[in-house]
Amino acid sequence: MSAEVEETLKRIQTHKGVIGTIVVNAEGIPIRTTLDNSTTVQYAGLLHQLTMKARSTVRDLDPQNDLTFLRIRSKKHEIMVAPDKEYLLIVIQNPSE
Amino acid sequence: SPSLSTSLSVSHLTYLSRSPVCMCLPDYVCVSRRGLRLGMAKVTQVDFPPKQSVSYSKETQTPTCTQTHTQAKPAEEEEEEEEMAEPKPAEESQEEKADQEEKQEEVPPKELTEEEKMQLLHSEEFMAFFDRGSRIVERALSERVDVCFDYSGRDLEDKEGEMQAGAKMSLNRAFSDERWSKNRVVTCLDWSPQYPELLVASYNNNEDAPHEPDGVALVWNMKYKKTTPEYTFHCQSAVMSAAFARFHPNLVVGGTYSGQIVLWDNRSNKRTPVQRTPLSASAHTHPVYCVNVVGTQNAHNLISISTDGKMCSWSLDMLSQPQDSLELVFKQSKAVAVTSMAFPLGDVNNFVVGSEDGSVYTACRHGSKAGISDVFEGHHGPVTGLSCHSAGGPVDFSHLFISASFDWTVKLWTTKSTRPLYSFEDSCDYVYDVMWSPTHPALFACVDGSGRLDLWNLNNDTEVPSASVCVDGSPALNRVRWAHSGREIATGDSDGQVLVYDVGEQICVPKADEWTRLVHTLVEINENRDEGEELAAQRLVA
Repeated sequence: MSAEVEETLKRIQTHKGVIGTIVVNAEGIPIRTTLDNSTTVQYAGLLHQLTMKARSTVRDLDPQNDLTFLRIRSKKHEIMVAPDKEYLLIVIQNPSE
Repeated sequence: SPSLSTSLSVSHLTYLSRSPVCMCLPDYVCVSRRGLRLGMAKVTQVDFPPKQSVSYSKETQTPTCTQTHTQAKPAEEEEEEEEMAEPKPAEESQEEKADQEEKQEEVPPKELTEEEKMQLLHSEEFMAFFDRGSRIVERALSERVDVCFDYSGRDLEDKEGEMQAGAKMSLNRAFSDERWSKNRVVTCLDWSPQYPELLVASYNNNEDAPHEPDGVALVWNMKYKKTTPEYTFHCQSAVMSAAFARFHPNLVVGGTYSGQIVLWDNRSNKRTPVQRTPLSASAHTHPVYCVNVVGTQNAHNLISISTDGKMCSWSLDMLSQPQDSLELVFKQSKAVAVTSMAFPLGDVNNFVVGSEDGSVYTACRHGSKAGISDVFEGHHGPVTGLSCHSAGGPVDFSHLFISASFDWTVKLWTTKSTRPLYSFEDSCDYVYDVMWSPTHPALFACVDGSGRLDLWNLNNDTEVPSASVCVDGSPALNRVRWAHSGREIATGDSDGQVLVYDVGEQICVPKADEWTRLVHTLVEINENRDEGEELAAQRLVA
């Protein structure tokens, strides 16, 4: 139930190198986060837009296809987005740790 | 209407009967005088790919989508079009951008209440999503493969470049004590003249701990990795200034908020002062922000100035009464509220003081004209720090001094002129302290309330600092003190932390020609100043 969700979130958050975890709903509003407010809002807004764009790209290339996972590797971090029809799970990890 | 359809079918039939070849031609072409005849037209199914949307991120796209429909798009694809951000024409006018920004701002702040969030988190769809999503994420997290690793080392070259830049100033030590320095502001710093690894820091009172002594002075040791202070001293009133007593390596002098000067001795086992000045009108009754031992081994005095303008000179053996005292008044009436004091290199008689009213004054201790001599006006706010040029070398620059003020600027002055030579205006907050490098003639450091420690090299650039570092957490930095070697710099912040930075060699070690270059730089500065004033004067006349 909800305890499992909590436990899993905690497990993810305490994973090596994880900087933050955010759960975002379909409108881009964060509903759970481990980061401070302004950072959360920034990440949620930008990644929501990017995920929508990525999803529409995949669907345009092939209407029967759909986006399942999005991973952005940058010099400093790795951002992982697990999308869904209704929600997004965003995890930011520092891979060098 | 039924009549219409029958007429249509009739016409179609009649059309068919005419000629099979012309079947594809639209019938409506034959509009006769009988009136408009509607005919069937064969629609060619065209499938246009989506328009190539040149999309820019953020504000260049209209959030409300304008749809460019091509004929008869299947219904399912319309959804995609709505999701796709529509292209904006290449010329984005400023107003459009501003409009969109407003629209964007209107959209986000829809927050959910905690209850709504909890509801969502407990819903079934969320559980299902989370189950799937977390599974994938955990697998991805556990994969530690760095697909971007570059064996040629080009990646590391970039990092090294950054590290080189960082090597300008790197944090060496951070000193703080849970019990004694937390919640206190560092009010003064001084490096020991005898033991270069020792640094004394004074602190004001801890508002959260009224039972603890108001004044604390801690002696920190750079040499060892120990994180606790070497010596802990305290007293009843907040310590506003502190110094190692030159010529008396065991003594630490403190000037307090009550006006009392206290003396701690590290030979005694007590943490409280071994000597105190009286709290009477003969000594100080106002906070003492400046204490300094001046003179030579055989003839030296402790000089102290309080904010009511009273200057006392003491012998360190006897603090029960001052040897000499002087009221610093400007033009026989206005007492100078002294916040900072500095003696030029080698001078025991003449000195400069900065005051709360924003002016800097030169003064002298002895002689017929003892007291304030000249006023240097230029700052628009209280002067927080003063420093006289002290890097000895082939050319004597001891007439130069710099001042820091609440007006966000640091100003360069010469005792030969009452107008500032130059104003350094790179800061965006109160500048709390400034100090010349003891070894490099053109280098000085300043700290401000936004957590920035800047190093300025006059020979390099007078518009921007040559090196700058921002302290983690951006606390206000209250004090800055170069170590006697000129290679390290200590700064004290408003959280009670003392941070010691190593300064990169290329910045702090002077080259042989620095002194001559500074002469040229000063000539330029002088010329610019005179030009500036001429222009200003011309504007006034015109």
